[in-house]
Amino acid sequence: MKSLPIRTRTLALLAVIVPLLLLFIYVALRSGPLAPVPVTVVSVEERSIAPGLFGLGTVEARYTYKIGPTYAGRVKTLDVHVGDQVKAGQLLGEMDPVDLDERLRAQEAALKLAEARVQEAEEKQSYAQTQAVRYEKLLAVRSTSEEIATAKKHEQRLAEAGLAATREDVSRTRAELEALAAQRSNLKLNAPVDGIVAVRDADPGTTVVAGQSVVEVIDQNSLWINVRFDQVHARGLKPDLPAQIVLRSQLDETFSGRVLRVEPVADEVTEEMLAKVIFDHIPQPPPPVGELAEVTIPLQTLPAAPVIPNAAVKHIDGKLGVWRVIDGDLRYTAVTLGNADLDGQVQVKEGLNVGDQVVVYSENALHAHSPIRIVEHIQGVKP
Amino acid sequence: MISLAGRDIMHSWGKFVFTGMGLGLLVGVTLSMAGIYRGMVDDAKVLLDNSGADLWVVQKDTLGPYAESSSMYDDAWRGIRSMPGVDRVANITYLTMQVRQGERDVRAMVTGVAPGEPGTPGWPPYLLAGRQITRGHYEAVADIATGFRLGDHIQVRRNMYTVVGLTRRMVSSNGDPMVFIPLKDAQEAQFLKDNDAIHQQRRRTAENPAFNRPGVPGLLDAVIASQSTNPYVNAVLVKVEEGHNAEEVAESIRRWKRLTVYTRSQMEEILVGKLIATSSRQIAMFLVILSIVSSAIVAFIIYTLTLGKIREIAVLKLIGTKNRTIIGLIMQQSVALGLIGFVVGKITASLFMAPFFPKYVLLMPLDSITGFVIVVLICILSSIIAIRAALKVDPAEAIGG
Amino acid sequence: MVEKGIRIEALKKRYGSGDTAVDALKKVDMVVAPGEVVGLIGPSGSGKSTLLKSLGAVIEPTAGRMILGGEVIYDDGWRVKDLRALRRDKIGFVFQAPYLIPFLDVTDNVALLPMLAGKSNAEARARAMELFKALDVEHRAKAMPSQLSGGEQQRVAIARGLVNRPPVILADEPTAPLDSERALAVIRILNDMAGKFETAIIVVTHDEKIIPTFKRIYHIRDGVTYEEAGEGRELG
Repeated sequence: MKSLPIRTRTLALLAVIVPLLLLFIYVALRSGPLAPVPVTVVSVEERSIAPGLFGLGTVEARYTYKIGPTYAGRVKTLDVHVGDQVKAGQLLGEMDPVDLDERLRAQEAALKLAEARVQEAEEKQSYAQTQAVRYEKLLAVRSTSEEIATAKKHEQRLAEAGLAATREDVSRTRAELEALAAQRSNLKLNAPVDGIVAVRDADPGTTVVAGQSVVEVIDQNSLWINVRFDQVHARGLKPDLPAQIVLRSQLDETFSGRVLRVEPVADEVTEEMLAKVIFDHIPQPPPPVGELAEVTIPLQTLPAAPVIPNAAVKHIDGKLGVWRVIDGDLRYTAVTLGNADLDGQVQVKEGLNVGDQVVVYSENALHAHSPIRIVEHIQGVKP
Repeated sequence: MISLAGRDIMHSWGKFVFTGMGLGLLVGVTLSMAGIYRGMVDDAKVLLDNSGADLWVVQKDTLGPYAESSSMYDDAWRGIRSMPGVDRVANITYLTMQVRQGERDVRAMVTGVAPGEPGTPGWPPYLLAGRQITRGHYEAVADIATGFRLGDHIQVRRNMYTVVGLTRRMVSSNGDPMVFIPLKDAQEAQFLKDNDAIHQQRRRTAENPAFNRPGVPGLLDAVIASQSTNPYVNAVLVKVEEGHNAEEVAESIRRWKRLTVYTRSQMEEILVGKLIATSSRQIAMFLVILSIVSSAIVAFIIYTLTLGKIREIAVLKLIGTKNRTIIGLIMQQSVALGLIGFVVGKITASLFMAPFFPKYVLLMPLDSITGFVIVVLICILSSIIAIRAALKVDPAEAIGG
Repeated sequence: MVEKGIRIEALKKRYGSGDTAVDALKKVDMVVAPGEVVGLIGPSGSGKSTLLKSLGAVIEPTAGRMILGGEVIYDDGWRVKDLRALRRDKIGFVFQAPYLIPFLDVTDNVALLPMLAGKSNAEARARAMELFKALDVEHRAKAMPSQLSGGEQQRVAIARGLVNRPPVILADEPTAPLDSERALAVIRILNDMAGKFETAIIVVTHDEKIIPTFKRIYHIRDGVTYEEAGEGRELG
């Protein structure tokens, strides 16, 4: 090691040692727990905020018509497909009549038979009546016995009763025929309203039970959104509020609508309030039932009040408050908060005045004696 | 009297500084190791601090929710809320999983926080930028260790979330950064699987004749609907009212609700005592090994330096230098080496090692002071071998044969 | 006067004991007066080094008496306690090789001795400079040893031997590395210093160049010394 004269050597050594020591001291003071905490500060401003409600919902049809047979049977034809537009009364499909047609014919034949029997009875009754009248006349002139006259009268009454019976029989048979006809017509599945076929539950050939739906029709003009709001954040929800609707499949488009009603029964398990929101103009093509929608309901703009960002609010020692910066020192101040908007601005009802300096962001948790260093924004985070 | 040690150092200062720097790197690694241990313990503490809770209510007989999985109904909080001494309660879910953003994914602990206002247990207590969650769905607050920025769209399971706020030092006990999302979304993420799995599940249910009875239309739909909900959370966080004793409140919850409840100190014990016990043992071993290695190296260096001067030492002895002076020469050099090493080590650890290590490295001033004392002690002790050699030297060696 | 100076009587040094005992010194008698420079000549193995080491209070003899600078330092088993102080204050060494401390400049190399003896740095350095002037190396006062030539280094080493003004100087082959001109210069200096400060100097040597300059010579063979008158050639 070539050694230098003393003075140069000392200088060289100092040139190495002094910066090293300074670096050392810097490191000791600036990093680790002794370092001052960088914080950003904001002034309490007087602003008017517009709170809003946010909920998730699904698109539903207000009325869904599930069309099916009232008797167990087999589906014979289904003439519509999902997506078809139908008119009210349109025949959508038919159930298999099985033996119904035959039974109808049998019943018609039975009716004819009953009617024929009526004719026969009428004939009998007419003859019996004629006989009764003749023998009454003969009894009046004593040409016959009373016994025969009475017998003829008895025959007449029998024939009348027989006629009445066959006439009832005709009514009964006719009623049965009408019943079968009604059944027959019920096999036809008709659309109750104008709408669109949403679901085909059973294809032709499938056996279905009574009450089971074969085809579902919805009225797309009756689409609404069934929205759920967290109960905690549902203050101010009431009917006729305007709503902004964003559909899952069209995230960049916002549709306008309004709250139709707030459900009187909330969801107890999920702690949500339910509401129905309708579109002002149903988007064309209409969104499918079941699509998710995000609904934002802007509430009325509130009068100007002191406002702070919600990032400034802390909860220490059981009190809600903020860290105020007074002369470079921290002081924890309890506050009472009012309404908040969806962008994180919250009103301060008590505890702060306009112009007070409040800590918003900090690099570490703060305590009453934390040394702080006010910066524009925290390092490493682009605004 | 001049300083022999000082003159010797000045004379071969390059060798000294170079050696000191080498030693400094060792010291830096040792300090960083200690910092890693402290960082791990701090991770655990910070997790508990940031949750804002005094009590953790978990599934019976589990060590949850961090050390063991715990699952309880999400309406259990109602019963807890009404117990005396309870100020606030909040459901919370934790799930460590991959969170996707664009092309990359990040391992994060997705935390579901109950809706409410800042100050609800479980909410991040301070932010670096942005704001807290205001909407009930699809918003997230992420820790900057994830690499996400404000406005990023991230994907958790089946849904996309917008990052609205950033935090720092919100980590799991493993050091994984946390991402906060609304509780309902987190419940869905935790228990609802991806679309493929849901299809499979529906198909299986439909194939099961018990659930797919033709005579009971609507049964299958009802069963599938029940499979798609999940009423579970991992824990209920409780904040105790001012003036009430946490352990007492915990005890009453244990007795009347038959749930397992941990106080803050018990949670710390679980985390530090069980969760990071293995890691801390590993680190302690490393520290011991490093210290031994450092001692050996310092001893070797000083011994070599002394041997290189053995003739001069013999001459010094011959011309009447006291043993004390010679011991001082060697020991002062050793301590000077240690000082250089420590300064270089501390600077290296703080500026070049700690910020770049994937886990949190906490360098405490106390550790530095302890480290300093230990380095000096090691130097003094290591120089003993060299001192013995120096004292044994026969001044007669200077007088040739 | 022999009160100062060197007086050795019947010195004996035995290494080992019993059958394996070796007597390095059997019977050594030497007297050197203050101001006198004597030569000590002997082949290797003759006990020369042992004698030097005994004189230098580095090893302890087995028997005999040694008086250095008027002080009894060894007397048949008894030995003065503080050998270090003895070496520091009473004996000056000049070796074959300069053995300068490489990390001190030459001034401090020499000034180190008075500093160890308690003198202030300024006084110690002043003394060193004085000797440098006499030895004609003052122009190298601030240099490091490695920057000096062999001869300059040797002269600095001599200065170191003299700086504490000890009553006794032991020089071990001081001219071995030097050429004849330089060697004679060294002997001249030693004589000057001896005369100036009344130092008793023993020069161990086998350098033919300087042996003629001694007035008295001691030969040592097999641990026994023999006195002889030297040429005493005058130095220019």
